Amino acid sequence: MKDMITRLAILVRREMWESPVAFKWTPVILFGFILLSSILALVIGMRVDGDLVFTRDGLRMFAELDPEQRRLFASGALFSISALFHQVMYLVLIFYLAGSLYDDRRDRSILFWKSLPVSDTMTVASKVLAACILAPLLYLGGIVITQVTLLVIATAIGLFADINVFSTLWAPANLPKQWTLMLYGSIVQGLWLLPIYAWLIFCSSWAPRLPILIAVLVPLLIGMLQHFWSFFSNFKLPEVNLLLIMLDRIGKGVTPASIEWEQIVTSDGANIRPSEDLFMSFGSVTRHLFSLEMWIGVAIGLTLLAAAVWFRRRATDN
Amino acid sequence: MTATIHARNLSRRYGSTVALDDVDLDVPAGRIVGLIGPNGAGKTTALKAILGLTRFDGTLEVLGLDPSKNRDELMQDVCFIADVAVLPRWARVWQIIDLTEKLHPRFDRAICLKYLAKTKIKHKSKIRALSKGMIVQLHLALVMAIDAKLLVLDEPTLGLDILFRKQFYSNLLNEYFDEQRTILITTHQVEEVEHILTDLIFIKDGKLILNDTMDDIYERYTEVLVKPGDVDEARSMNPLHERVLFGRHIFLFDQAEAMRLDDLGEIHKPSVSDLFVALMGDKEADAEAHAGTGEDAG
Repeated sequence: MKDMITRLAILVRREMWESPVAFKWTPVILFGFILLSSILALVIGMRVDGDLVFTRDGLRMFAELDPEQRRLFASGALFSISALFHQVMYLVLIFYLAGSLYDDRRDRSILFWKSLPVSDTMTVASKVLAACILAPLLYLGGIVITQVTLLVIATAIGLFADINVFSTLWAPANLPKQWTLMLYGSIVQGLWLLPIYAWLIFCSSWAPRLPILIAVLVPLLIGMLQHFWSFFSNFKLPEVNLLLIMLDRIGKGVTPASIEWEQIVTSDGANIRPSEDLFMSFGSVTRHLFSLEMWIGVAIGLTLLAAAVWFRRRATDN
Repeated sequence: MTATIHARNLSRRYGSTVALDDVDLDVPAGRIVGLIGPNGAGKTTALKAILGLTRFDGTLEVLGLDPSKNRDELMQDVCFIADVAVLPRWARVWQIIDLTEKLHPRFDRAICLKYLAKTKIKHKSKIRALSKGMIVQLHLALVMAIDAKLLVLDEPTLGLDILFRKQFYSNLLNEYFDEQRTILITTHQVEEVEHILTDLIFIKDGKLILNDTMDDIYERYTEVLVKPGDVDEARSMNPLHERVLFGRHIFLFDQAEAMRLDDLGEIHKPSVSDLFVALMGDKEADAEAHAGTGEDAG
């Protein structure tokens, strides 16, 4: 067992070595991009707003808001930064997974990997773990560094504005809660997106070329056929449409702490009280985790992964 | 003790092409077997079947295991270089060594580093930055450091200079090989391996044309540098093959009487490449070879 874990660990590390852009450089670049745009905004701001008078005034006004609203703004602003990280991450993962069992078939290095005593199940598992555990952890690292850096910049300005930076900025930002929630949420979302991930890995395991295109085109075509078929046969839009199901799943999976979409969509909007709980709630993540939809998806995902292992078993260099 | 490789009626068809045609094969432990054949003869298919990389019909056991079912288990004891330059191009040398060390329970890092020290390969280099020959050197260093029971080498020295090739085969024989291990080699550079082989297999059109130990082969086949006056007599003795070198006629005989051959001229051991030409070369010799070695192919 211990042996298996160390072997899986090195295989997952292998994924990072093979795709440093997806796992390492994208979060670094996002951090650089956000930092640079904030600095740029400050520099431009200083041109219009000499000595940052208005900015400091703004901060003072912010400090006088009622605590509930301060929390909402501070954590909301920082949370939206993490959302950027996560959305980019899921996009990057799509490309990573579509190539995961294809690239080594193309360059024939599969023959080297197959010469090592590693089962095909283990190989496939390492790709899943890289997407579900390694990527969320590394991107969370990027989020932590970015959020802390931005708060430090705000703190520097806040000190000039003579406000209590702790009670105005750090406490309402509620970083520990955000980070735990993101960690929990992104693991749950990994499970939620498992059928999508597994579909990409499955396509990657057998596609003769361009697995990403096949992975997109197949559901697209099936979805459109379903659409036309039901429209022409009984003048209705289909109730069950593969493409829409997949898009719906991706849509609900792009932020770690599932925003309660249903609540927003079904209510008339005005009734929703803007609160932190809308995007940051352990309860909603847990409800999500124990929903039937979640586990149906996991079952479909595991089936597709088993099929990918079957293809991988038979894959060689031609 | 189970045989290292045990095959009965091993067949593989790709559509209408027969890559392996009812092959029977037994390789005991402690042999160095050369699998020689022209391009498209079925060498690679045979190796892939042994390594569990392709489907097959018939029975095949490698180290007592069925390669199509127990591949993961089998790979603990089997090591292969399937072809040249298939190391992942994105990796760095140290990453490949780390990976092999952590994934292969029988890998000895010290041995690998020892072989690498003799090359110009730097640990920080990316595989894609190495020359073809250096990639092969690295791959060979990795493989030589794995304590495997069966080592399969498919064209292992392609792209290497002659110094390194000689060095490699000498290391293989003197440092790697022992009576518990079996090495299966395919190569077109027959001259370089023939002195280390214990067994020789010729394969053509999916059938084994020759399958014998080197000792038996030297016992059975004789090459005679025939004196100019005796050429006609030599021809009458049903030689396998005749060639002319510097005006001298060289005949290859299958199971001829040693006494009579002695009178014809100088007697030599045939080289594997001359045997290859004689048994697999032109059509006429080919037909004779099929008739003459039928029992070996069966």
